[in-house]
Amino acid sequence: MTGDTHYDLDILAELAEGLLDVDTARQVRGHLAVCDPCGELLADLATVREVLAATPTPAMPMGVALRIDQALAAEAESRKGGGVGLADAPDWDELMRDAPWERPVEVPEPAHFGRSAGKVPETDAPREDAAEPVRLGVVADDGTIVPARRTRARRRGWALPAVAAAAAAVVVGTAVASTNLLAGSGGQGETVAPPVALPTQSKPVTTPSQVQRKPVRAKSYALTDSQHNYSDHELRQPLEGVFGPAPIVGGGTSDAASVDKCVSRVANRSKLPTYAVDQGQYNGQEALVIASWKDKAAQKLRIDIVDPFNCKNLRRPALGRW
Amino acid sequence: MNSPPETPSAAERPAVTDAELLTAHINGDPHAFSEIVKRHRDRMWAVALRTLGDPDEAADAVQDAFVSAYRKAATFRGEAAVTTWLHRIVVNACLDRMRRKSVRPVADDELIEAAERETPLPDQTVEREVSMEVSAALKLLPGDQRAALVLVDMMGYSVEDAAQVLQVPSGTVKSRCARGRAKLAPILSHLRNRTDSNRVSSAKGAELRDG
Repeated sequence: MTGDTHYDLDILAELAEGLLDVDTARQVRGHLAVCDPCGELLADLATVREVLAATPTPAMPMGVALRIDQALAAEAESRKGGGVGLADAPDWDELMRDAPWERPVEVPEPAHFGRSAGKVPETDAPREDAAEPVRLGVVADDGTIVPARRTRARRRGWALPAVAAAAAAVVVGTAVASTNLLAGSGGQGETVAPPVALPTQSKPVTTPSQVQRKPVRAKSYALTDSQHNYSDHELRQPLEGVFGPAPIVGGGTSDAASVDKCVSRVANRSKLPTYAVDQGQYNGQEALVIASWKDKAAQKLRIDIVDPFNCKNLRRPALGRW
Repeated sequence: MNSPPETPSAAERPAVTDAELLTAHINGDPHAFSEIVKRHRDRMWAVALRTLGDPDEAADAVQDAFVSAYRKAATFRGEAAVTTWLHRIVVNACLDRMRRKSVRPVADDELIEAAERETPLPDQTVEREVSMEVSAALKLLPGDQRAALVLVDMMGYSVEDAAQVLQVPSGTVKSRCARGRAKLAPILSHLRNRTDSNRVSSAKGAELRDG
């Protein structure tokens, strides 16, 4: 046995790559012929190549491809006009029209919107008296409407804003449906259910037992505009206290459209249903705080902070609580 | 450049070469560059995603790279293939990003990943796990070794092609690959039984092992 000198992985890797001089190579090969542990190491090196070669390389996601087209269009525009590069925003409706996940879907009428909207508080003063039967349903994970839970402990302090959130969700949902911008592909895994939705006009839900189970397919979320300056520390606290009391923003404005753009991009990346979006600041910088359900049952959210112009993450997505 | 087969078959492909498209772009054809992007974006994405190990970062890098290629198309000189040139721009964009990122704390998606371990997603197949392990392992390597391994071992380019992309001698590519593999071996060797029975059949690997 000549197994007194073993060789390390670096030498063996160089041997495999043909980097050793002839004499050293001969020596190492002679050793390998009789040394099982070193042979094992050589096999490990071969495994690395095999594993790397076998790791699939996915195609570029549609969202990234669109983003690049957009950036190049802006570049072309700035070159042509010599003007501002980003002046020409892409027509997202048009770009996304044929994408497999963008199909027109049916969205329920916002039947009681007027009434609910009347209750939207002007300020963020939370009130206790909202435990009265509210004509609300919550869209469950399977797309059906279930009665909104009235656990007082949980809703205390933001019950009224929740009504407002519901109203906003419907407004956003409707505006969105009319442009197909965020319309979901009903029934499939990536469908994003709205956090709150109103039942149809024909059968208003008055008590939980009478809840009408109807599939709702709109991608939607509650959009607020708190202009709050978030910090990492705050974002680790339950978000309900911050998102709930913020003034609600209606759909249809150019603001809402640009928020939509970012929300759909984030949803594309996270593959999670967007629950609530707040327009505010992050460490003093304008930001969208986008909360998506990571695990609804456990009240766990993924929180994306993006800048509202280019939808780029301002920090790593992190987990939060509602 | 040694090009792996593209999705559209050669017959469907228009008979315009990349170089002709680039010339058309320089001469003001507004559609020429989009065609180049369409042809190569998947490969550029794969390189960036594997080199950076993070989809957000990779998307930024590929976007930067394509915009930069668009701008400096006129400086392209015909001695290299257009694909080599594009690869070079993408790899450099990735290496730039890594350098800048290494200043910031490596927060990673640790929180998210930890949560996913707690509640595994239903579609978390073996393949996905292996893929995540490979990404995590690659992140432990210095950028130059990572880039070399991505091009040679993952993308299947020849050492010579990789050397052109990275603008270093072939011997340098080989030694970066060797050092990278040596570092990955202890981390990835346990995957041997998971992979070589079913999915992996690498003649090169077998050859290597058998001396």
